[in-house]
Amino acid sequence: MRSGDARREILHAIRTNLESSPPVQSSPSPERRGGQGVRTPEGRGGQEVRIKRFTEQLAAVGAQCTTVRSETEAAAALARILADAGARRVVGSDAPLVQRILAAVGNDIVIDRLERLSRDELFACDAGVTTAQWGIADTGTLVLESARERSRLLSLVPPIHVAVLSVRCICESLGDALARLSVASHAITFITGPSRTSDIELTLVVGVHGPQTVHVLLMEGP
Amino acid sequence: MTFERDARTALADGQLRGALRQATTLFGERRRAALATVPDWEGARDRARAIKDETLEHLDRYLEEFAANAERAGACVHWARDAAAACDIIGGIAERRGARTVVKSKSMASEEIHLNAALARRGIEAVETDLGEYIVQLAGETPSHIVVPAIHKTKAQIAALFADKLGIAPSDDVATLAAAARDALRRRFAEADLGISGVNFAVAETGTILILENEGNARMTTSLPHTHVALMGIEKVIPRFADLDVFLQLLPRSGTGQVLTAYQSLITGTKRRAEDEGPEELHIVLLDNGRSRMLASRVTRQALACIRCGACLNACPVYRQIGGHAYGSVYPGPIGAVLSPQLFGLARSAALPYASSLCGACRDVCPVKIDIPALLLHLRAQVVAEGVAVGKGHLRERLAFWIYATVMVRPRLFAWLMRAVRSLRIMPPLGAWTKWRDLRPLAPRSFREQWRAGLGDQRGPDA
Repeated sequence: MRSGDARREILHAIRTNLESSPPVQSSPSPERRGGQGVRTPEGRGGQEVRIKRFTEQLAAVGAQCTTVRSETEAAAALARILADAGARRVVGSDAPLVQRILAAVGNDIVIDRLERLSRDELFACDAGVTTAQWGIADTGTLVLESARERSRLLSLVPPIHVAVLSVRCICESLGDALARLSVASHAITFITGPSRTSDIELTLVVGVHGPQTVHVLLMEGP
Repeated sequence: MTFERDARTALADGQLRGALRQATTLFGERRRAALATVPDWEGARDRARAIKDETLEHLDRYLEEFAANAERAGACVHWARDAAAACDIIGGIAERRGARTVVKSKSMASEEIHLNAALARRGIEAVETDLGEYIVQLAGETPSHIVVPAIHKTKAQIAALFADKLGIAPSDDVATLAAAARDALRRRFAEADLGISGVNFAVAETGTILILENEGNARMTTSLPHTHVALMGIEKVIPRFADLDVFLQLLPRSGTGQVLTAYQSLITGTKRRAEDEGPEELHIVLLDNGRSRMLASRVTRQALACIRCGACLNACPVYRQIGGHAYGSVYPGPIGAVLSPQLFGLARSAALPYASSLCGACRDVCPVKIDIPALLLHLRAQVVAEGVAVGKGHLRERLAFWIYATVMVRPRLFAWLMRAVRSLRIMPPLGAWTKWRDLRPLAPRSFREQWRAGLGDQRGPDA
């Protein structure tokens, strides 16, 4: 088979070329070097410090954040976000928490279920609501795992993405988040603020292919 | 040599040079600000380089591990010896899936193999979806910067282009232009049968590929179509999932000066259940195309550690003046000057190793500490040794250095020659130098003569 041949040829070329040269003189092997590479200075501390840093970083990357203490409060906050943006059609993920919050949102808004939407209908939606599995305090990042929820398109296609995150799921750093992830999820998405570009004369435009607005509902309490 | 001609063209383009100055200065400043938030930047660079060195040292083993784990997760892994093979594989997949339109997110490797042209020959339209790449494609041009492909175009030019190609009302509002591209591309995303992306890192341990971006077009490309093809150079593999930490901290800071880009997509195989979101098929194409050859020497191997951040472009005094097009390669700037001759042959890019003042700014900013000046010197030596590009200039240069060497090792010959030059007031033929600078006249007496005449007996004012 041709593909098998190419594989053999490439691996053979790699081995032959590696053998023809002495090993690279390099710094000590990575396993023996201390630490996990870069460490950011601030933010070592308890949950309070992490939450504070997370919300500060969210603001720095242009995401909004509202702290809520219950599902009722979350529904009220979501209703406000949608009303302020003039959003009419909203889609929620299959996460039970999202479904419960959406059910309490009130009746001015058309709520769709993702599995019933055609691609064109999805493109026509104003807002997507999902949860986030993790937050990263150092960077203001949301982490979404495909094995936990159908959030891949809802966090991407509509112009507004609202993500519900529990304060207990805020990690300190990127390294901490990576250590908690499992590749049982075929797609893991890190989201840091809204979609952006500076491709025309280096002028920042927010909201290109992905959402223009990222709003985090930060859930406190049990 | 086309490099010299194209560099001259670029130097004469005031608008281009203004845009380049603005972009490279801004990215340089943002990069410095982003580094300041990291306490042990040097340690991170060392660690990243050590990981890359370790990987390259055992590249065969890590590639096999990556391929096995990606396949276990449902991906189909293809091996491509060269550009033609990679285009065949991807074209074949597209035809098998009956694809008429493919959407593409930014991939330098796809430009390296001229994939769009290869697909067009099969009647398949490839649509670039990164805003900068989209502009460049609509204009029928090529990217001029790794991170900002359309940096050479003004918004007025882009407005005229969009009015012509997309039929929108002319506007010089950047947000309006971006929105027009978004709307046009949404239709392409909705109809595309296949998505083609690049790969920033591939994790051997898990078979995961990682793609960084800011716009969301790579997420669209890898989420919406039924088939996703990811094209990667064989050097993109890293051993462990945890290694992503250090690279994710280095790459965005070095490239755009961001702490993190807006999106990182970590894709491990295909969807596990029918109701999951995402493509049904994932094809990963591993591209050699001259890379394995670079493993043969310790010097050349370094270039395979490159993570394509573009920091060396922004720092390079040559790139800052001439931009990407003059390099005549998909890989411009200092890293391009060392990659292009090695990937595409010394004969085709013999001028590029000389497109540098060897100031070392590229080496200083490189997040994986590639010694680009050393590589440039290595390649220059190769140009000479292999006798590539022997022109009149090279013969003159060799003659000049032969004369220089002959004179400099003979003090009396040197002194006699200098006396002759001084008394006859001969000016050396340095036209290229004196065109832009004044040559100072020679002193009436040489230092040695002045010394012998008593300069050595005088005491300096501070003594």
